[in-house]
Amino acid sequence: MGVYLRPRALDEALESLAGRALTPLAGGTDVYPAHAHQAAWNGAPDIDILDISALDELRGIVEDEAGWRLGALTTWSEAIEAVASGRLPACFEGLARAARTVGGVQIQNRGTLAGNLCNASPAADGVPPLLSLDAEVELASLAGRRRLPLAEFVLGNRQTARRADELLVALHVPRPQPWAHATFLKLGARRYLVISIVMVAAVLEAADGRVARARVAVGSCSAAAQRLAALEAALVGQPCDGSLADAVEPAHLAVLSPIDDVRGSAGYRQEAALTLVRRALNELDGHRREAAA
Amino acid sequence: MLTVTMTVNGQKVAKDVDPRTLLVQFLREQLNLTGTHVGCDTSQCGACVVLVDGKSMKACTMLAAQADGCEVTTIEGLAKNGELHPMQAAFKEHHGLQCGFCTPGMIISAVDLLQQNPDPSEHEIREWLEGNICRCTGYHNIVKAIQHAAQDMRS
Ligand SMILES: Cc1cc2nc3c(=O)[nH]c(=O)nc-3n(C[C@H](O)[C@H](O)[C@H](O)COP(=O)(O)OP(=O)(O)OC[C@H]3O[C@@H](n4cnc5c(N)ncnc54)[C@H](O)[C@@H]3O)c2cc1C
Ligand code: FES
Ligand code: FES
Repeated sequence: MGVYLRPRALDEALESLAGRALTPLAGGTDVYPAHAHQAAWNGAPDIDILDISALDELRGIVEDEAGWRLGALTTWSEAIEAVASGRLPACFEGLARAARTVGGVQIQNRGTLAGNLCNASPAADGVPPLLSLDAEVELASLAGRRRLPLAEFVLGNRQTARRADELLVALHVPRPQPWAHATFLKLGARRYLVISIVMVAAVLEAADGRVARARVAVGSCSAAAQRLAALEAALVGQPCDGSLADAVEPAHLAVLSPIDDVRGSAGYRQEAALTLVRRALNELDGHRREAAA
Repeated sequence: MLTVTMTVNGQKVAKDVDPRTLLVQFLREQLNLTGTHVGCDTSQCGACVVLVDGKSMKACTMLAAQADGCEVTTIEGLAKNGELHPMQAAFKEHHGLQCGFCTPGMIISAVDLLQQNPDPSEHEIREWLEGNICRCTGYHNIVKAIQHAAQDMRS
């Protein structure tokens, strides 16, 4: 039988991680189904667990000049609530929408954003919106702290740059330009509680009726979600006049490498990604025109 | 072994548990509160939903140790003084169940919904129940029961 630790202070947690390999446990919504499944229902996971859910230092959302810091224990429900109450601005709308499609209310109440990133499923719904926000992860160990752009953290299917002695302690999102809106579109067999076939997240920043910056990420179409850098470059300076979606060319999606699986063929995913990217831009273009009118 | 203390259906309990005990096992096996069901091993079905500090959670996705110090409400804690909770009464009245296996989780989820949104639309009810699976009813009467309970609880 394995070890179970539930420290109340981060230092204590980091100390135990430095000594031995332990599986961090936050909301448990990935850990339990994965392990309980094998051991049949009653055999709770026989792994060495570091339960981080009592670390109050990992809770809360704070804002400063540079942007926002979301503690690693921020749940999907807390993110939804923060956007709904205006504590997080419109550029987080894509993240909130993604949150509402994750697993049903009870999973949203327990599951954390950081757990979603650390689990690094190619279909993780949190990755595209956070990539499109240029989020960074803050990692802590006894050796100190470091920050990594999310794109350098999630490396592939179930692979991250986290060392075994590190905990993800917070997400940092830099402040965008004053007019910034975001969206998230997900294609699944139904809207909720399914593994996504394709998802698209976009953040549009506009000034003087033109695109100042566009950030577009696609998930479930490669081992780790990808930003579409070529498309982002092509969008800068385009007028927000209802034609933004026309700027999207199939070649802009060449970085994707979708696979065939039970949920859809590679060709279908590529096609669906193109359609969703166009829809996302069209929607944000529409927001911009409404704001201008 | 680890001592956990929590308030379950208004009563304080303290027990020594194996730290890996899931909350749902703790409720069923240590407290004999078998109204909270187990329907899957993937945290999908929602038969095990309970309220933890007022919010609906799947008791199979958390350890008893993680509910230490919390207030937990199970289906057994809803009726007061021998009177069914309005949600239970509405499920009974409007046939919101057939085999009844999913019912405790459905009712607890629905109670949480009405705490947050006392007048939900049919769409909002269906969306909220996304994490509760019923293999018998086709959901129709469950939705109807919740709509009636919402009416009763507002009046
Ligand atoms: C019924 C159901 C439906 C679901 N639907 C969706 C869905 O629609 N979309 C989706 O993307 N996901 C879905 N999930 C998966 C899961 O809910 C999410 O990925 C969730 O955000 C995971 O967070 P958690 O806190 O529960 O993680 P945990 O299970 O606690 O941990 C997940 C992984 O991350 C590690 N970890 C967690 N926190 C840290 C940290 N701070 N530092 C270092 N490592 C850490 C753990 O060791 C583990 O490997 C679903 C799960 C269930 C059970
Ligand atoms: S037993 Fe199925 S969700 Fe908990
Ligand atoms: S009534 Fe049988 S599962 Fe819902």
